[in-house]
Amino acid sequence: MAPDSLAGVALAWADQPGDLPRHFESRQALEAELRRLFPAAKGNLSPIRGGRRQAEALLSRIQPARYAKGRNFLDGHVTHLSPYIRHGALSLAEVRDAVFARLQAPGGGGRQAGEKLINELGWRDYWQRLWQQLGDGIWRDQEELKTGHHPGAYAADLPADVAEGRTGLACMDGFIDELHETGWLHNHARMWMAAYLVHWRRVRWQAGAQWFLRHLLDGDPASNNLSWQWVASSFSHKPYFFNRGNLERYSNGTFCRSCPLSEQGCPFDASYEQLEAELFAPMPSVRAGNDRSRERRDPRRRGSPAASAALSRPTRRR
Amino acid sequence: MQCPILWIHGEALGPANPALQAYPGRPAVFVFDAELLAGRSPTTGDPADATPQAVSLKRIGFLYECLLELPVSLRHGDVVAEVLAFARAHGADGIVTSAGTDPRVEGICQALEQELPVEVLEPEPFVELDGKVDLGRFSRYWRRAEREVWAAASQEQ
Ligand SMILES: Cc1cc2nc3c(=O)[nH]c(=O)nc-3n(C[C@H](O)[C@H](O)[C@H](O)COP(=O)(O)OP(=O)(O)OC[C@H]3O[C@@H](n4cnc5c(N)ncnc54)[C@H](O)[C@@H]3O)c2cc1C
Repeated sequence: MAPDSLAGVALAWADQPGDLPRHFESRQALEAELRRLFPAAKGNLSPIRGGRRQAEALLSRIQPARYAKGRNFLDGHVTHLSPYIRHGALSLAEVRDAVFARLQAPGGGGRQAGEKLINELGWRDYWQRLWQQLGDGIWRDQEELKTGHHPGAYAADLPADVAEGRTGLACMDGFIDELHETGWLHNHARMWMAAYLVHWRRVRWQAGAQWFLRHLLDGDPASNNLSWQWVASSFSHKPYFFNRGNLERYSNGTFCRSCPLSEQGCPFDASYEQLEAELFAPMPSVRAGNDRSRERRDPRRRGSPAASAALSRPTRRR
Repeated sequence: MQCPILWIHGEALGPANPALQAYPGRPAVFVFDAELLAGRSPTTGDPADATPQAVSLKRIGFLYECLLELPVSLRHGDVVAEVLAFARAHGADGIVTSAGTDPRVEGICQALEQELPVEVLEPEPFVELDGKVDLGRFSRYWRRAEREVWAAASQEQ
């Protein structure tokens, strides 16, 4: 058998006519077979391989303390476990136990080193519990938008330039290519894309959520739709948005360096206050008048003066 | 149940699947859900969208590679019809599966139950929380859950 071959584990019962094949000469052969079996499914296989073995290899490499320090950076240490967890190749309980074991091993750092990672696993559990409660209602706005815009002001469909990854923005086009090619994106990239689509392009979050679900290997209406709603502000006190300084910092400038709009025309190149004024309409009930105490009550402004916002935003995510 | 078959669904493609654990060696089946892959179920598409689009090939490939590492037959089509046909082919007296979060799993179990008894096993939870849990915001959930999760960690030592 070729080293690249993919053979299913042996079955203790006989095949039936119509069973799908469980043996392939190569990954390429699997891809060709899937094209034949699922003609409506577009694109290629992801370079990310499925399966328990891959999942265990990743699990053995988790570093909770490094994770806590670097998780907001695109090149920071994150686990890449989400597709395996989503489909139960690994259960969340197994990941939890592996983290505990790592923390308790010599040099593991104990509880403090693991708090961030365990907290993130908690986010998954939280969204799953909400899905159970909401059912298919997870596709509807959970609360009214806090953007000052009527829901009808948002376009129903994904714009063609976004769907094709030719927005002209090096960052967004890079993320879109990665989504389409690999089916996995860093959390921060997902947040930036969602904010760009919903706030800058003013598209309904559902259009973006649906697009993500087609491509993400970890695509899950719970984590996905509710994160989109968190960005859109139908499941949070304020819309999530970002500026160039934030994206540049957490992507180590990689995109901005090669972006044709770097010098002029970057829609993110502004202070948070400028962007807020540009993207959102005043919320009549909370922002009427010039009264400072009223202004403070605007949920979007709470505790986020523009100067420090570039740094504080990423930790106040979702 | 003396001789059930196992229905494996897309939330439990690993050895922690409680159905695989409770009935090792029993015939098991996974069905590539045609409607779901076409984007016509709320698992993959907005129910309000009139023009559903199919799930990309890489997602199917990922599932396929997970499935090749499990003792499971693979089918494609209507899940209920395929699972029942598999059960008949194996002379099964019932179907065992694992609980899912997706309401689609529950719906399929209800349809299967019209024909055969269905046993739904709960996977090990991330954290056990008794009674009603306030899910209004993550912070409220986490105030309760965090303590329980870490209590379990110290028991492990
Ligand atoms: C717009 C948007 C859409 C998203 N869609 C999905 C989705 O469809 N499926 C999905 O699993 N996650 C989704 N996320 C959450 C998060 O981005 C991914 O879980 C994470 O980036 C996966 O990478 P990782 O496994 O390296 O995560 P790590 O940071 O290494 O975290 C470990 C595990 O914790 C869980 N986790 C971490 N962060 C989150 C989070 N914010 N929400 C929920 N669970 C989390 C995941 O299971 C993850 O595998 C989305 C986030 C946003 C902003």
